[in-house]
Amino acid sequence: MISRAGIVDWALGIFEDLEFGAARAWLAEGPGRKACGYLPVYAPREVVHASGMLAVGIHGGGDRLEIIKGDAFYQSYICHLPRSVIELAQTGRLDFLSAMLFPSTCDVIRNLSGMWQVLYPDVYVRYLELPQVQDQATGGAFWEGELRLLLRELGRVSGRPADDASLAESIALYNTARGLIRELYRMRREAPWTVPTEELYLLMRAGEGVPVETFIEKARAYMSAVEAEPGQRKDRSRVIVVGAFCEQPPLGLIKTIERAGCYVVDDDFLLGNRFLDTDVSTDNDPVRALAGGFLRHAVSSSIMFEPDPEGKRNLMRQRVQAARADGVIFAAPSFCDPALLDRAMLRAGAEADGIPCIAFKYAENSAQFQQFREQAGTFADSMKLWGDS
Amino acid sequence: MKTVTAGIDVGSGAVKAVVMRSDENGAEILSHASSRIRKRDISSVVNEVFEQAAAESGADRIEYVASTGEGEDIPFATGHFYGMTTHARGALFLEPRARGVLDVGALHARAVAMDARGRVLTYKMTSQCASGSGQFLENIARYLGVSQAEIGPLSLEGKKPEIVSSICAVLAETDVINMVSRGISTSDILRGIHMSMAGRFARLLRSLEIDQVVFVSGGPAGDVGLLAALREALGKGTPEKPAAELELVSHPMSIHAGAIGAALWGAYRYHKLGTGGVAWTATVKI
Repeated sequence: MISRAGIVDWALGIFEDLEFGAARAWLAEGPGRKACGYLPVYAPREVVHASGMLAVGIHGGGDRLEIIKGDAFYQSYICHLPRSVIELAQTGRLDFLSAMLFPSTCDVIRNLSGMWQVLYPDVYVRYLELPQVQDQATGGAFWEGELRLLLRELGRVSGRPADDASLAESIALYNTARGLIRELYRMRREAPWTVPTEELYLLMRAGEGVPVETFIEKARAYMSAVEAEPGQRKDRSRVIVVGAFCEQPPLGLIKTIERAGCYVVDDDFLLGNRFLDTDVSTDNDPVRALAGGFLRHAVSSSIMFEPDPEGKRNLMRQRVQAARADGVIFAAPSFCDPALLDRAMLRAGAEADGIPCIAFKYAENSAQFQQFREQAGTFADSMKLWGDS
Repeated sequence: MKTVTAGIDVGSGAVKAVVMRSDENGAEILSHASSRIRKRDISSVVNEVFEQAAAESGADRIEYVASTGEGEDIPFATGHFYGMTTHARGALFLEPRARGVLDVGALHARAVAMDARGRVLTYKMTSQCASGSGQFLENIARYLGVSQAEIGPLSLEGKKPEIVSSICAVLAETDVINMVSRGISTSDILRGIHMSMAGRFARLLRSLEIDQVVFVSGGPAGDVGLLAALREALGKGTPEKPAAELELVSHPMSIHAGAIGAALWGAYRYHKLGTGGVAWTATVKI
């Protein structure tokens, strides 16, 4: 059996590899193989997989990449992610991708898709408008049409057009992956000392750079390792980290929050992995099932329209109750419009419900964590000593 | 019910540990130990100091081991508390009248305002520069060839203190080298350094508007020269803020204030978790 440390080391290696060696190795294993990159937050990876391509999550270079060219493309008041992604591309690190998907997260991602079309005319580029209306006749029909179009076009790029059977198979695989992630989140919620967030994050992040089949194998191995090496329980406060769904925090920030005396029992990290909160049906028409799955089972997030006027204000209470959390840490990337615009409503709702909150901003290349440590540490102490936890 | 808990304060210069016994009537220190880290592996220093304190406590079990300072990664700790939280609680234990703490560490100093329960109300830290810290004072003493124990008494003898840079440790060290070459006496140099540090600390305390008893914690808390300079600096006041009626208090156990606070908060948590039916905290057998 592989040890917990062995799996975490494997994941860390993929996370730190800005040359995407694992994806390049997969491409080299068979003639004519192709890879498709996708940006946060949600991309229908089943469609990419069914088209015979490797889906590769592109999250920027974090704190391991110096931005030289990327800054020329974006103003200083734009978040760090797009300039980092451009830097990866302009330095040839993304030259193994035959296609790029840009899901509708914000205007910046939309602009980035336009830049890609201009800079890389040989790469298939698609800006994915996600349905914002939860009505089958409008939103459902629209998204189904988008998925069918994407299937056709990716099939043309890969030379291996998907059919219903291959798509159903891909959906089943991603159902398994999502199920494992849900189980890992449940394990962390129940016994957070057994699944440190740093490890869970690395596992999920690595999973976005390898075939889904490999991720499933590693996730199962990790769960077995957790049972064999459960870790030691500590007296810490239970917190939810909200707002880090697109540009990812540096790993040091995640470590800092837990080291400072918190157990993260729910979060938004790499949210695309859990965007559908239940299995997608593999019966009947798989495209319709995938579209319907998104329409009915997309999680509440800042990139989706919230029809209920009280929905945002109630969301933190619901999540805190579900995770049995003591408080909420709002951690959003600097200049992230979706996260920061929502923060005011989410925080107002949380505070109205008496939920302790703190808030800070980060960038994916933040290198100094003392201020986060101070905030998270005093926050944890205040909940343990003066709160109900 | 008596509860035995331990506090381990990992500072940037030294590791301190205490073992305490507490019940509803109060708490007592059973044992304490400390050791300079120097260039040793921190985890081995932590183990050494904790084992010494545990062995000398006479207790056969410890219900809650609380870490503080840089001790987040101590594997056998039950929980961790932030430094300000523990120094406030430790100060209150050593001086119940204290409503403020000036914690002078090896690399930083911080002022904390607290209430009668030890709850931190607000705080301020010196910036990242090591000037105005214990390590800086120790370096200067080494350059001047005096022991740490001599620093305070020598400083008190200073008659014509030389002003040093109060911002930058590097510039301050250059100042000291120049003073030595100009033949300034060791006493006057040390007094000048203490005055420089005291000026920074006084500004920290004034900015928090603490106007009662302030407890001085950390290694340099026993430095009589520093305390004298601080009393003088606080007595001067500024045009905007006249001298406050501040009483500075130190204690022979000041260096252990963080560890004491951690042990006391550990006892509090032990009972709080226990009353909730979650008495899961690992007991450390000695």
